[in-house]
Amino acid sequence: MSVYLLNKILYMTDNDADFRKRIKEDPEGTIKSFPLRGDEIEAMILGDVGTLYQMGVHTFFLNHMARYEMFGVNRDNYLERIRSHMEYDPRFELGAMPLQYVPKES
Amino acid sequence: MAKLVLAAGVPHPPRLAREMQDAPGQLRGEALFKQVAGYFEAAAPDVIIELDSDHFVQFFYANVPAFCVGLAEESEGPAEIWCPMPQYTVKGDVKMGKGLLGYGLKSNFDLAAAEELRLDHSMMVPLHFLNPNMEIPVIPLYVNGFAAPTPTARRTFSLGRMLRKFIDQWDENKRVAILASGCFAMDVGGPLRGWTDDNWVGTVTDLLENGKYESLARRATAQRMADAGNNSTELLNWIGLTGAVGETRPLFVENDGGSGYAVWDLEGGRK
Repeated sequence: MSVYLLNKILYMTDNDADFRKRIKEDPEGTIKSFPLRGDEIEAMILGDVGTLYQMGVHTFFLNHMARYEMFGVNRDNYLERIRSHMEYDPRFELGAMPLQYVPKES
Repeated sequence: MAKLVLAAGVPHPPRLAREMQDAPGQLRGEALFKQVAGYFEAAAPDVIIELDSDHFVQFFYANVPAFCVGLAEESEGPAEIWCPMPQYTVKGDVKMGKGLLGYGLKSNFDLAAAEELRLDHSMMVPLHFLNPNMEIPVIPLYVNGFAAPTPTARRTFSLGRMLRKFIDQWDENKRVAILASGCFAMDVGGPLRGWTDDNWVGTVTDLLENGKYESLARRATAQRMADAGNNSTELLNWIGLTGAVGETRPLFVENDGGSGYAVWDLEGGRK
């Protein structure tokens, strides 16, 4: 159920402008308002995309963390973080995260 | 009677419309979309049936249908604020969509239906280029491509066959186009971002060019598509299209990285 909720939090961030405002204004409080396990709360709050990936959070939702720059995740550190628990793969040398066009919201 | 006149497969790069403004005339995607758009203009379809995989905008894990027909009178998109392109209102074709739903159910395809739609970039980017001013009504036919487990390629191929039979027996005098939205091989936001499985792109392109559609549907296992990147199950939409075109081969299949662009002319095209 918890991975479902992690996905849901990121799904709502992308799809619900009110929720997006809420999580931007109070990131930790918003995460802690969901019945998550301690390690899940910690991974979210640390922006530990690699651990969240290993837990099974969908990559499309993890991508939103970089897109909306949540919990310190951004375009420049996203790929390094998502690969943090993986063996080195030469394919890691290819490409970078694309430039995003996310409008500023009040 | 309705008639399938055109089928096309294209990708849906979410930033292409914006990137074209910054580098007009320089992107291969722009040229290829214009090429495909010429066939849409010439074929002048009355309705577009768009095979597409929602990217968790219309559907979420709370409720994910394997296959779903869109039955909204009107819908808006793209819903994602990070997709820099114009906002559109898209007309549906509820009468024909309900016809497809009923025909599918009678044919043992347990389709879902949705009367309210939030259209994502994967639905809208192709329409931005191929349906100017959104004048042509669109029937979305969703294929679950991202919330694993997804429908099999062989089942999706059969869905396409059913779709063709539905069109051929539909009692309105309509010219129908099928549009498949999706890439061949790509990783978006996954650990292999930037890598393209050229081997799989070559295989898919070759099988499409040679009309070996059933072979493609056999080879496109869930594992093979996943190995080609987290976005690569979008190929299911193309496989659904190939189920509908019968023996007709594409006029061309062009690649742009892990993406493909192809057009099938069902009125005197290649056999």
